[in-house]
Amino acid sequence: MKTQNSKSKINKSIPLSYVLCLTSFILILFPFKNANAFCGFYVAKADATLFNKTSQVILVRDGDKTTITMSSDFDGNVKDFAMVIPVPVILKRDNIRTIPSQIFQTLDNYSSPRLTEYYDENPCESRVLYEYDAVSKMSLESVAASGMEKDEEKYKVKIEAQYTVDEYDILILSASESSGLERWLTDNGYKIPAGAREVLQPYINSNMKFFVVKVNMEELEKKQTKFLSPLQINFNSPKFMLPIRLGMANAKGAQDMIVYAFTKSGRVEATNYRTVKVPTDTKIPEFVSGCFGKFYVDTYRKHREEAGENNVYLEYAWNISGSVTQFCDPCNGPPPMLQDLVTAGVGWVNQYHYGYSGDVFFTRLHITYDRKNFPQDLIFEETPNRENFQARYVITHPAYGEFTCDAGRKYVKEVMSRRNDELNNLAILTGWDITQYSDYNKKFAQFIPAHEPRMRSTKTNAPDNLDNDNKQDEIISNDNNIKQESFGVPYLNDNSNPPSGNSDLKILSISVMVLLMLMAMVAQLGKRKVVAHKNN
Amino acid sequence: METISLKTNRSSFEEVMSSPIKWLNSDPRHYQISFLGIFLFYGIEDLNWEMNWLNIAATLAASLLTQFLFTWFTNKNYQSLKSAIISALSLTLLLKTNLILVIMLAAFLSIASKFIFTFKIVEGKKHFFNPTNFGIILTILITGNAWISPGQWGSNALLVFGIGILGLAVLIKVKRLDVALAFFITFCLLNFTRSVLILGWQTDFFLHQFTSGTLLLFTFFMITDPVSTPSHSKARIVWAVLVAMLAFYLSAYEFVNGAPLWALFFISPTTILFDKIFLHPKFYWGPTNLPTKEAPNAQATQISKTFFTLKNQSI
Repeated sequence: MKTQNSKSKINKSIPLSYVLCLTSFILILFPFKNANAFCGFYVAKADATLFNKTSQVILVRDGDKTTITMSSDFDGNVKDFAMVIPVPVILKRDNIRTIPSQIFQTLDNYSSPRLTEYYDENPCESRVLYEYDAVSKMSLESVAASGMEKDEEKYKVKIEAQYTVDEYDILILSASESSGLERWLTDNGYKIPAGAREVLQPYINSNMKFFVVKVNMEELEKKQTKFLSPLQINFNSPKFMLPIRLGMANAKGAQDMIVYAFTKSGRVEATNYRTVKVPTDTKIPEFVSGCFGKFYVDTYRKHREEAGENNVYLEYAWNISGSVTQFCDPCNGPPPMLQDLVTAGVGWVNQYHYGYSGDVFFTRLHITYDRKNFPQDLIFEETPNRENFQARYVITHPAYGEFTCDAGRKYVKEVMSRRNDELNNLAILTGWDITQYSDYNKKFAQFIPAHEPRMRSTKTNAPDNLDNDNKQDEIISNDNNIKQESFGVPYLNDNSNPPSGNSDLKILSISVMVLLMLMAMVAQLGKRKVVAHKNN
Repeated sequence: METISLKTNRSSFEEVMSSPIKWLNSDPRHYQISFLGIFLFYGIEDLNWEMNWLNIAATLAASLLTQFLFTWFTNKNYQSLKSAIISALSLTLLLKTNLILVIMLAAFLSIASKFIFTFKIVEGKKHFFNPTNFGIILTILITGNAWISPGQWGSNALLVFGIGILGLAVLIKVKRLDVALAFFITFCLLNFTRSVLILGWQTDFFLHQFTSGTLLLFTFFMITDPVSTPSHSKARIVWAVLVAMLAFYLSAYEFVNGAPLWALFFISPTTILFDKIFLHPKFYWGPTNLPTKEAPNAQATQISKTFFTLKNQSI
């Protein structure tokens, strides 16, 4: 592993504040053809088939220090992969490392939306059971890289530093004009999508450095793996943000991103977009356990349509300080351990007996972004809000048996009404057509357990590609697919949603209010004129 | 006679509208209270803010009690309780906390600042910190358990329209449109120059920032507080431009969340200086748009007006 440092300095004619004022953002690109990507964009080599479903990012904020770990689905050949990450300062070798990709799985399992099951007791008989069902699995791989050469001068691009970090070859460039950088990248075998230019220039104007990554195939072979490790960088900057603008450069639809954030004090929320909770703690019908992934996809999508497409959604927030005893309720997966925290870049925790000591707050945000709704990069704020939150949905299995006692008969009535409510909740959350589930109540009434109706036929919100039978069966049969389905771009990238009825109502009510006010003011003005006239 | 015929000619709509309008017009603060109430309702009902009614009640109670006690020991003008309601509503709209005691502390600090941070003017005393602003900033600094959520309003055109229109209605009443415009235009121009002209972002990048509910609420309902802003209109404009410049600096170069709030906090004390240089009668709450009625403090205003006329003549 060779490490080279070029001793170059920031051009002094450019104000230092500009360097400081912009934090890192990430631009992923490939030689030739394209696909979607994390904060940046992929440009694939001719034959590569690329598909970026959901990107995941770990953000750790400690004072002014930000640690960003990136992972992204990448189905292409690793040698086709390259990544460009603009950063506010020239990163040193110590600021860059790779980490095991398992961390994303751990965090995802721990924090994804969950389904809880409760079992009623028969009032004429016995007692309660409590269980939970985990809901997760995100197929994420990583990134791959491709060829690149050192060049400069005529492009007005300067190589500030050069490192090899595990399987990655990394260059840090500074550029003084976007056309130069573009030519440099193009001449070195990369193709930048047209849309990228409009964002490259502002970043260059802000005197950002460009962190260019490609895969060193020799190093990768030494590791005897085909998969790339997540790349982690850290730097000091007062701005706590995540660049998403470049990621939209060539993306046709919306892209999904899950952000796992660790802070000392409390929840992370966006300051330039609204941070909204996803619906939670709702009772839903028993049969949803068979298609929970689809349920959550539709719930998220409907909620996003109603609450606004330019919001950031909170899916999980939990105080996971060393002193805390309850890390989840119920747990989807094991909470992150000391080792996971250290891997993620949480530098302020220490080993303490079997656990760790130190305050840590974990936040999971879900962002579905596109060019139209997200004109600015995401800027975050570390709040002192330590209130826990989780996206949790509850199914309650009724008791079966003889209900001959008075309490039993009352119970049957209650369950019938509860099951009606559950169906209504399902319709409200997902927009599914519940008329086909009219036998849901009957099944209980006749004490016919278990065999629940198959997948719905969607009425309103069904994305086209899910109406395909194979896909549905896959979802129903495989719970492990839930997360993947939940956040897969194809199901969430509806760009052309008409404004919801809700917002029409808002417009109407405010317009009426304003109209009334204006009329009142005019009336008042008229009255005064009359009074003034009278006085004259 | 004429009055009677006027009454009989009134349409039924006017009849219905007349009493709430009369109430609203009797004091611009009534407009403010109503509009802030509407925003709060919108936030809770439509934007699903995490806010419980107990917090709101506690804020109102703490504000009113503090105002009552201070008023009891000072001028005994209980009309000022309306200002306490405005402060309490603004606090619940802008400051976030999970602890009821923290929001009550903020309410106390807001109201107390009006009586503690004052300076002498011709008519008596004037406070120079915007009460809500002072309460928010100090609570954040002292407790570390409160925060501002600049993103909580989201940014949509409807909201801009709503806050803008309602804000204008209030500003026309209290005659502080100059402050709002001076601040807003300066802040816009500085940001436009930097984001669009210098850095090269597209215009929607810039527009996104200016359709933020928090910024508009600040522009139309906070910085325009007629009592704590400089009394002279020229001074007010210079003062508002200063706030805008500082807010721009803090947000663009120091990355401060809710920069306008911090800027206002730091610029507020200069009100003393501006009022010393640019002499002008103090603002008094009252039915400013009803010429037939006299403002409660009309006498004081009259005295100071005479004073300033004499003074200017002598100069």
